[in-house]
Amino acid sequence: MLPGTIWQRELVEFAQRRRALVIKLAFPLVFGIPLVIAAPPLYAAVTLTMLIAIIGALGAGAVLSRERLSGLTLRYRTLPVTPGRLLIERLSTSAVIDLMQVMPVLLFVALRHPSEFAWWPALVLSTAAVLLIGNLMGAVASTLSDSPGEVMLYVFIPLLPLLYLSGVFTPLTQPALLVVSRLLPFSYLHESLLGALGGQPNLLPWETMLGGFGFLVGAAGLTGRLGRRVLESD
Amino acid sequence: MKADTASEPSPLAATGLTRTYRGGKGVFDITLKLAAGEVMGLMGPNGSGKTTLLHMLATAATPTAGQVRWFGNTNPRDPSVRRRLGVMLDQPAHFDKMTGYQNAWFFAHQFGLSDQLARDRLDELFRWSGLWDAREQLVGEYSLGMKRKLNLLEALVHRPSILLLDEPTLALDYRAELDLIERLQLLSLTGTAVVLATNDVHLAERLCDHVIFLHDGRLIREGHVPELLTEVAGSKEVQLQVTSPIALESLRALPAVQAANVEGDTVHIILARGANPAQVLAVLNGTADMVSNMRVRRPNLGDVFLKLTGVALPAVDR
Repeated sequence: MLPGTIWQRELVEFAQRRRALVIKLAFPLVFGIPLVIAAPPLYAAVTLTMLIAIIGALGAGAVLSRERLSGLTLRYRTLPVTPGRLLIERLSTSAVIDLMQVMPVLLFVALRHPSEFAWWPALVLSTAAVLLIGNLMGAVASTLSDSPGEVMLYVFIPLLPLLYLSGVFTPLTQPALLVVSRLLPFSYLHESLLGALGGQPNLLPWETMLGGFGFLVGAAGLTGRLGRRVLESD
Repeated sequence: MKADTASEPSPLAATGLTRTYRGGKGVFDITLKLAAGEVMGLMGPNGSGKTTLLHMLATAATPTAGQVRWFGNTNPRDPSVRRRLGVMLDQPAHFDKMTGYQNAWFFAHQFGLSDQLARDRLDELFRWSGLWDAREQLVGEYSLGMKRKLNLLEALVHRPSILLLDEPTLALDYRAELDLIERLQLLSLTGTAVVLATNDVHLAERLCDHVIFLHDGRLIREGHVPELLTEVAGSKEVQLQVTSPIALESLRALPAVQAANVEGDTVHIILARGANPAQVLAVLNGTADMVSNMRVRRPNLGDVFLKLTGVALPAVDR
């Protein structure tokens, strides 16, 4: 296939990296299936939330720091495409690929717990939001260092506290922390996973769906605004 | 300098262009203007600011001060500006897991070419560049020379009004270099303005109408090639290959020596009009066994630079 657009190019390159493709698709299943079958819903939801957040953030960070080193980012600056549009196309395609990567696990969750179908739209939306935000975090982190290893570090440094503040590791009881958790996208993913796995979430499906949708739209807008910051920083 | 067309402003004009880096390096206060069909050379040793200047002219870097105008437009992010530029940067960056043709197709479409037009032009350019047989090969398997040829054809495919090329002949074989010179001459005749950052004095003398010398980020001299060459007309360049260091001061003290400098194991000496190269050997009396090779040749743009700065331009492998 000949790629004429940025999203087509992302897909072509992804499809042509066969070994990476197999690893990328198999990795979530290897973790996800035993968890969904055997772990209590709370632990399965914690692990899957972390997995989805990491998949989004690490992929984009590594790819963009490699492109910065190879000089591709410099070439992007000479293309007749605005930085915002370029970054939105790149990161949204990358997030869609990540969604395809985790979709088999989500489908497996749905198959194991068909009675929880009310949570499925919320689960898909909040997963998409977390993946796009993760990709954006990785993209911003890639501007902080030339070393892919350091970029990974810059992704993890904010990610772990954010997951904690989202109530992923321990249930939050203080009202102030609860408010903070509702301002973070990971809490909606965690709640929807808990619901879809048959656990006891604190939110209703429509509330979680609304949160996921809001963060998805917000992440798309923020990606456009950060285009210049990400693609034009030296 | 070739004249501007009456209907359109100068393709490229820069005033007071400055970009500074930490540590005081960068490019400072460069003013230049390029007419349609003109070929301009940016020459200077490594670190002189050629690439930084080219990046700013190519919209890849933002100036700290000063301004660039592309056909009168000062917005470097305006897609209508970038569509008229063909850029070959110093790093031949590509998507390594895609084939050469897929890469070129992608870049051609970014510049708005239709499928049919892209196919026609790419087929012609892949044949011209000698990459036709390697078009379905992954770029990760290309040699440096092949990657640079691919970069070049990607810069040419949308028929830009301004071509900005960084060391375009680097890693090219002689045949490819001649083909490139011929193509650039043709493009220039049809009105394409060309900026070349190069240390290849032969390429610059053959192709450029106008040359800018950069040293430590500053424009130290500019002019038409014949006019610059008159500054060293009648003089000679002596190149001595030495096996151990020799005293440059005693050479520089000779009245006939206009400039002398060392680059690697080679001493470059510019002798004034009428001077005899044997005078150099006389100074080296007693140490002449250190000289493993001696060459005398007519002066070129590199000698003009040497005379101006005392610094030799890096040799280009040919």
